[in-house]
Order: sequence, then structure tokens, then C-alpha cells
Amino acid sequence: MTTMISAWSAISPFGLDAVAFAEGVQGGRRPADCAVPGFDTREVLGRKGTRTMDRVTALAVATAKPLVEGLGDETALVLGTNVSSVKSSMDFARDTLTEEKPFYVDAGRFPNAVLNCAAAQCAIWHTLKGPNATVSGGRATGLLALNYARRLHRSGRATGAVLCGATEELTEERSWLELKDASSPLSEGCAMFLLERDGPGQAEVLAVEFGVCSDLTQAGGVLRRCVDRAFASSDAEPESLWLIVGSGGEGEDLDGIPAKRLCVTDLVGDTFAASSAFGIATVLALAEAERRDGTALVTAVDRDGVVGCALLRLTGEGTR
Amino acid sequence: MGAGDRAGVMTRRVAVTGLGVVSPIGIGVAAFTGGLRSGRSGAAPARSFDTTGFEHDIACEVPDFEEPAGVGRTSALAVAAARMAVEHAGAPDLRERRGLVAIGSTMGESRDIDTLVAQELADGPAGLDPAVVRRINAGRLSVSIAHELGLTDVEAVTIPTACAAGNYAIGYGYDVVRAGEAGFALCGGADALCRKTFAGFYRLGAMAPERCQPFDRGRRGMLTGEGAGVMLLEDLDSARERGAPILAEVLGYGLNCDAAHPVAPDAGSVARCMRLALKNAAVKPEEVGFISAHGTATKANDIAEARAVKEVFGEESPPRTVSMKSMLGHTLGAASALAAIGCVVALTEGFIPPTINHVETDPECGLDCVPNHAVPADLRVVQNNALAFGGNNAILLLGRYEAEAVAT
Amino acid sequence: MAKMRDIVCEILELDPDEVTDDSLFKEDHGADSMGTIEILALLEKEYGVVIDEAELIRMVNLSGVYAVVAEVAGWERATERAS
Repeated sequence: MTTMISAWSAISPFGLDAVAFAEGVQGGRRPADCAVPGFDTREVLGRKGTRTMDRVTALAVATAKPLVEGLGDETALVLGTNVSSVKSSMDFARDTLTEEKPFYVDAGRFPNAVLNCAAAQCAIWHTLKGPNATVSGGRATGLLALNYARRLHRSGRATGAVLCGATEELTEERSWLELKDASSPLSEGCAMFLLERDGPGQAEVLAVEFGVCSDLTQAGGVLRRCVDRAFASSDAEPESLWLIVGSGGEGEDLDGIPAKRLCVTDLVGDTFAASSAFGIATVLALAEAERRDGTALVTAVDRDGVVGCALLRLTGEGTR
Repeated sequence: MGAGDRAGVMTRRVAVTGLGVVSPIGIGVAAFTGGLRSGRSGAAPARSFDTTGFEHDIACEVPDFEEPAGVGRTSALAVAAARMAVEHAGAPDLRERRGLVAIGSTMGESRDIDTLVAQELADGPAGLDPAVVRRINAGRLSVSIAHELGLTDVEAVTIPTACAAGNYAIGYGYDVVRAGEAGFALCGGADALCRKTFAGFYRLGAMAPERCQPFDRGRRGMLTGEGAGVMLLEDLDSARERGAPILAEVLGYGLNCDAAHPVAPDAGSVARCMRLALKNAAVKPEEVGFISAHGTATKANDIAEARAVKEVFGEESPPRTVSMKSMLGHTLGAASALAAIGCVVALTEGFIPPTINHVETDPECGLDCVPNHAVPADLRVVQNNALAFGGNNAILLLGRYEAEAVAT
Repeated sequence: MAKMRDIVCEILELDPDEVTDDSLFKEDHGADSMGTIEILALLEKEYGVVIDEAELIRMVNLSGVYAVVAEVAGWERATERAS
């Protein structure tokens, strides 16, 4: 069987939909402001059910919206996040320390401090009753989610479509917790893909490979082995490689491999947990505009040591 | 070992070869087994945070576990459990083999988040300790294990699907080993108790003042807990080849989502998940020797879960359904991992752990919860339930290891 | 009462004119048990009181909420003494 990406969606610093993202990526210039423009939860999703919804969750629920139409109830979801909303967790913890009694907290916001909040809300909003998983692995999160999703198909746990992606929010709290030496402006957004077994689609997921580097000086070598294995385990020729999109981690250079290079942090800023999902979206957006065949790689090196890549084969078909 | 999408469909049997436990009722499998057999309670006044202002303060902490300096408590719990699991399995050198490390969690490094908030309140954002900031990412729960054990040819993924996360992670390990994508999986779950978790469940009215009494008429809720449970899974053939202890076999599992309510379980959906798990494991309902329930002891959980059990297993004689949370408290992301380990212990040691603190069974639940005392039992198949916030259900089936497959 | 109406409306995501003193949170406004706990939590915080969860059975509408909070906060006794 094959795993095909048949549609995708993105809410990014370029705007509220995939078209805005594609235009932005094709333009090649990072927006000055890396917050998603005009993303107000209540304006985008309405008032009902949004009182306690945090930004990382709202971005995911809204990104899923254009993809879920016409899908069955058994649709699965695999959503990547780092620590969900660190703002939600910190706000909740703060109330336990500053209010008159430690339990004067907002009961309805407790689920926001739990890391599966966004995936759960996506399921509730869009009635997705299939397997519903949350995965986390820093910058490599989007690739880990893709592999989890692919395995849901291969193991037969998902018989229908699988939605897969990753989400990140930009809040003051997150900016406190980022490393001070960050080279790109902090950014936010969510990218999601609709995966289907066999059938038509814009790209086929040929391989997803991972390793761990004990320290970041080893990252390049570990990534190289992942890439070699991705080609070896699929029947793709290394010469077919058209584009490599990095996630802004250390050691993602892959020197000596001839291919067009892009780095997702240069395009949309540092979307941390969503960065490799935006890498996949970048491949799809550019393929629609520029390319009808060949293969593309999305790479990720996380500062904690998770290293990975996904190898995609472009089919030349447009998204649904 | 091809990992491409065109790999063959040959599947492998998946053996449990090692168990690592850091729990409120004991550290290490031997102490944990003793605790389950004797019905030990992990409940005690919480010591890890200031409980002033709460009207009750009972929780299930791991009393004798100090995290090393500079390490987040949740990661430390996960790493300790993983190391024990490998030792328990005869200390194979996993560096030579391709593997998966998958750790589930509900809150991640939540105690560190509390610490950062306290620092921010005291000294503003500039007062945040960079060393603590550096370690809050949820992915570290898994990758820390890889670093600790010197593993580089592994996929390290954290699966924070809340209170079903342990079963999710074990299930993921099962899929990956079964498909031959990895020779081993270190999988389980971890969480550390902290003030905001305690306050959250307290606020929801989900917490008992003193003791956890699942399925009891007088139950008043859960107790929050902490811990970590990690299993080593290996493909059966290589495990046999290296002469590993084969403790049990993972038979299969089911996943689904209620897609209905953020915190209240849906009995029909839980029943559907049980059916998915039984079908995946090729197990008939009557083959299940006992069910390890999610069993939080909240009003809503126990009734919905009991209803689901009866829907799938029949009203007449559903399997005995016990809640290890009566002893362990609700260890969140570790809960279903510790319970799964408890199931393996039950299979190997031949007893069903009790539901302690039991006075009178709630007729609305109406299940034999093996009250207060463990019972000896010759078990072949056991079922481990996990139901999480957001309606994330994961149900795992484990079987006694027999040289011929229990199920095909 | 206006403050309490605001709290209820905020939790149940309603406009103030949609809620009457006697309209039922669950039956008329679709609240679930989580919603009623949220209302209780916000009332406790707002008025600096602690409400026994057993009172939730009375807190089915605005009148019930007012009665419970008044009792817990000791408003009625204060009013009686003043009169």
C-alpha cells in the first residue's frame, strides 16, 4: 500500500489559508510580523465552544476545518505539539499561587494544561472518532506525526483518511521560554495534511526515517544516514531529488547533495513544533507552482537530539 | 527491515521482555509486585508542593525518588523506569539494534512549569532559570532515555495523549515491532505530581479527600499520583534467540475517540474501543481473564466504564474488573503503563490484583472488582483499559507467553 | 444578581438577555456538569467563598445560584440583622 497526501491546509504568518501560504512561500520573503494576521479565535471559529479555547488549539481546529468536509466519522487525527499552550499551563499554575485560595482556578481551562488539548478539541469540533493521537519531538514533531499517521494506515488502525499536522502558538510566555540565541523571529501557525491509503494525491510518502544524536555536532552525520536509508528503503533514485526543506535546526546542511534548498524558518519564522509540518507544506506549495515530478526531502534536527527526514514523491497532481 | 511503504506484510509476534517501574507503591518490579499482591496503598499527604489552602492534601507520590540535579522530574522518572526495564530484560545491548522509544504523558515536565511560574512571579521573566527553561519540552521524555542508554539508531517520540498515553505508547511499540520496523521498543508513560495538576483535579470536584474507592457506592473520586512505567518489547524470535525472559505477549490494542466531551467518558464509544482491541488481538470476550479498568473512582468514569464492559462482555458474567488506581492513585500518563505492567505481573505470577478500599459495590457499576484482597488465578489473556481527557481511548490486550501463538 | 448573570453567561456562552432568573442551565441552555462546575468555580473566586459540591443540585438556574451564594456568603443573615 502507499500513503498519499491528497490535500493540505495551513494557517501561517502569511495568512489564514493554504493559498496565502503558497503565495507567501513562492514570494520567498518572510513577513515582518510573524504572528498569524487577523487570527482571533472568536472571529474565526465563532463564540460557541471557544470561551476557554487557547490559541494553539484554535489554530489547529481552524486549520483542520477545510480538510474535514466530506470525511467519515472514523477519520483519524495525529497532531504534533511541543507543550501545547505554555501560556495555558503557566496561567493555570499562576492562579494557584496568586488567588486567595489555591483552587480558585478556572475549571474549564484545566484541559488546556493537558498536552492533548488541541487534538481532542479538533476531534470534538469536527467529529473525528478514529484514533486520535498527540505526538511531540521538538522541531521534528511534524515528521514524527507523519510517521505515526502513516503507520495508522499500515497497521490497519485507520481505514479511512488520517489528518496529520502540527501546531504552535506565539504568546508572550513562549517568548520568555525560548532560548535567547534564537536566530529567527518566533512565529506560529499550523499545517495539516490529509493522508489516504493508495488512491490519487499530490505526493506519496515514500519513507520517514529517524535517529538520535548524542550531541548536536553529530547531527549532520545522523541526518545523512536517515537520508541514505530513506532512499534505500524506497525505490527512489537520489538523482530524482528536487528540493530539500530544512526546519531550521543545527546540522541540516546535507552538503554535497545537489538539490534546491530552503529553510522553513527563513520563510515563516520559527514555528518550533510546527516547523517540519510547515516544511512539508512548503514542498506541496512549491510543487503546485513549479514542479510536477521528482522527489523532495523535509529534514529536522531538534536541539534535544531528535533527527529525522521524510522523503516525498511528487505525483504531478494538484490537491483536491 | 525495509521501512519503505512497499515493505512486505509479514508480521512478527511481540514479546514483553523487561519491566521498569517507579510507582507510589514501590520502585522496581519486585516491590511493585509485592504491593499489588498485598494491596498496598500509595496514598499519603502530598509533600512536593505547599498544600496550604486545600481542604485535603492526600496524593500518591513516589516517596523515595529524588531526581538528579538538573533533570526534570518527569524525564528522570521515565529514564529510571527505562533503565530498569532494560536491566530486567537481561541487559541486552540495544545500541546494536534499531528501535523505538515512545513515552506517553499527560502533563510533560509540569513541575518545571510550576517552578518557572513561581520564578516569574518573584522576579519577572528575567528571573526564569535558563536551565529549567531548557528542559520543559515534552519530546525530552523520550529522547532523554535514548541519551541515557546511548541509543542513536532509534526513533524517539513522546506521545502525550493524556491519561491513556501509556497504552498509546505501548500500542505504538507493538505496531512498530510487529511490522519489523524496529527490533525493540522501549515504551510506557511518565508524569510527576505538581501543584497545578492537584489544583485542577481538585477544582473539577474529581478528587477524593482521603482514599480512592473505584466502583464503590461511597466513592468520592480519584487521588492524583505520579510515577513511570516502561516496558521493553522485542520481536519474539530475536528475544528467544538471545535467551531473553519472555514475560508476556502483546496481543493487540484498539484506539478511538469519543469526539464528544472534554472530560466525561462516553460508554458507547468506550465499548466500541474494547471491540476494536479484541478484534485486533483476535481474542474472544470470554477469553479475557480479567480487566484492568481505567477505574478512576469518579462517579462518571466508573459508571460509564462499567456500562461499556457489560455492553461488550454481557450483563450476566462480565470478567472481574479491577482498578489498580485504588492502590496507585491516578498516575496520569504513567497510569496505563503501570497498569499494563501490573497485567504482565498478573499473567506471570498468577494472581489478580485487588481493588482496595472497597466497602460496598455500587449497584450501578455491578462488577466483581476483586475487593481488597488479591486472588490467585490462572490467566491467559488480560485487558488493560485507558480513557483520557478529550475522549482518547486506548485499550490493550496482553497474553501469557506460550510457545505456540495464543492468537493468530 | 447582574454580576452572577454575567458569570453564568460567560461560562455558558450566552447573551445576558437569553438567561432569565428561572431558565434552567441544563435543560434550557444546554449546560453539562462541567459547565455547572465552572460556574461554581467562578462564583467561589468572585465572592471569595467555598461552596459545597452538594449544592450543585440547587444551582440549576440563576435564582438557585443566588440563593446558594447568598447563604454561603452570609448575605441573608446580614440583611436580617440590618432590618
